[in-house]
Amino acid sequence: MMGLEYPFMQRALAAALLMGILCPLLGVFVVIRRMSFFGDAISHSAFTGIALGLLLGIDPSLSAIAFAIVIALGMGWLQARSRIPSDTIIGVFFSGAAALGILLIGLLQGYRTDLFAYLFGDVLTIGWADLILAAVLLIGVGGAVVALRRPLLQMALSRDLAAVQGVPVAAMEYLLMTLLAITVAVSIKLVGIILVTALLIIPAAAARNVSRSMRQMFSLAIAFGAISALLGLFGSYSLNTASGPTIVLASIALFAASLVRPRIA
Amino acid sequence: MSALSVANVTVVLGESTIVEDVSMEVESGEIVALIGPNGAGKTTLLKAILGLIPFKSGHVTFFDKRLGQLGPDRARLGYVPQRLELDRTIPVTVEELVTVNTPRRFYSHAGLRRALAEVDAESLATRMVGQLSGGELQRVLLAMNLLRDPLLLFLDEPATGIDIEGERRFYDILEHLRAKRGIAVLMVSHDISVVYRFASRVVCINRRLMCQGKPGEILNDDTLERLYGHAAAVYEHHD
Repeated sequence: MMGLEYPFMQRALAAALLMGILCPLLGVFVVIRRMSFFGDAISHSAFTGIALGLLLGIDPSLSAIAFAIVIALGMGWLQARSRIPSDTIIGVFFSGAAALGILLIGLLQGYRTDLFAYLFGDVLTIGWADLILAAVLLIGVGGAVVALRRPLLQMALSRDLAAVQGVPVAAMEYLLMTLLAITVAVSIKLVGIILVTALLIIPAAAARNVSRSMRQMFSLAIAFGAISALLGLFGSYSLNTASGPTIVLASIALFAASLVRPRIA
Repeated sequence: MSALSVANVTVVLGESTIVEDVSMEVESGEIVALIGPNGAGKTTLLKAILGLIPFKSGHVTFFDKRLGQLGPDRARLGYVPQRLELDRTIPVTVEELVTVNTPRRFYSHAGLRRALAEVDAESLATRMVGQLSGGELQRVLLAMNLLRDPLLLFLDEPATGIDIEGERRFYDILEHLRAKRGIAVLMVSHDISVVYRFASRVVCINRRLMCQGKPGEILNDDTLERLYGHAAAVYEHHD
């Protein structure tokens, strides 16, 4: 039924649901703190990490995570220590990471078709090892977000009020960036570098349009993410289209619907 | 033992000295107004006292303890910023904003209702923060601070953007709380008539400490001219 008899489809469903649920959970913080482009810069640095991994013979998934964390913390550090506006910092890191990635790819021997899988993603090709790694990391990230939701939310609503009450705001900022880097790097397998921030941003943004409380926003973001993952995956199977873009377009359809719906009573 | 003691505090941001060698004290049950012209360093001093901006030299103690030594009592420092830098499109309710910013040991649903009632805002609990007027939001922030049974309240021009009626209510409530609970208040203000009426003591700064004392003693044309320039003067306030 809908291809679920095939193990590749079962793995794809597990991966899509995992990301569809956990990305929007973190995505709520990304959206309310206006960090969308920060996510894009991280995904480009993950691309550089992949190129570095391929060049050095390290597992590209791991090198992507490590490099994404380094760049995320670097951006955070510069933001805290300088008077440079954050959009400028993001722009510099964004292009710097992309340029370095392209340069490194040029150093690789031969034509690398596997690079396309990273650029555009394909959840149908995800293997057991990748699925287990994604499950461990994403459940870890989700657990950290749930455990620290109170200080994270305090900081997202007002950094000053949080700091007065003794929330270690700088440490929490770096933690949020690290969690974001891990999530983006892991999710590249599903939708590729180009669309990786979509599952972080779009379900949470759609939820914000119709919510009247943070509780609703969290619940709806997760629901919209899961629905997008299911609709997109089975839609791509039925229509014979690429899974990543279909998942993203499903979430865009929900976002469009959220624009015409009034807020929930 | 003073509720707040600030000794020789100097704050340097980048190349500029914003606050230089300022010392002052606030006792329990006292409303102290911090006044001075624009750019005098009032907000910077308040933020440095609260640990939001590092200071280059000097000491700040709360009941003879430094901020880091306060332990659980740190939660009993209240702060109402000039403007809450909150994105008004975030769908957060008043109840959620207060819950998340109140330590669990101080929070109860009934306590929240009581605190909101105390500032005339009981009908706002389920409203979205983005839909509140400036005055309503300031009263909610005051209620949020009351819930933690504060020992010391820091207010940074709390009536900015509030209409005259809202402002009068805000200060009446503040005066009532000071008298009833004996809270020590340090309040940055621009409004000399409010300071005249509600402050127990006034501290004037213009980067450095310029004067301090009771409003009736120091708020005269002479001091104000020194502080704000020759155009400033005290006008009789008629109710």
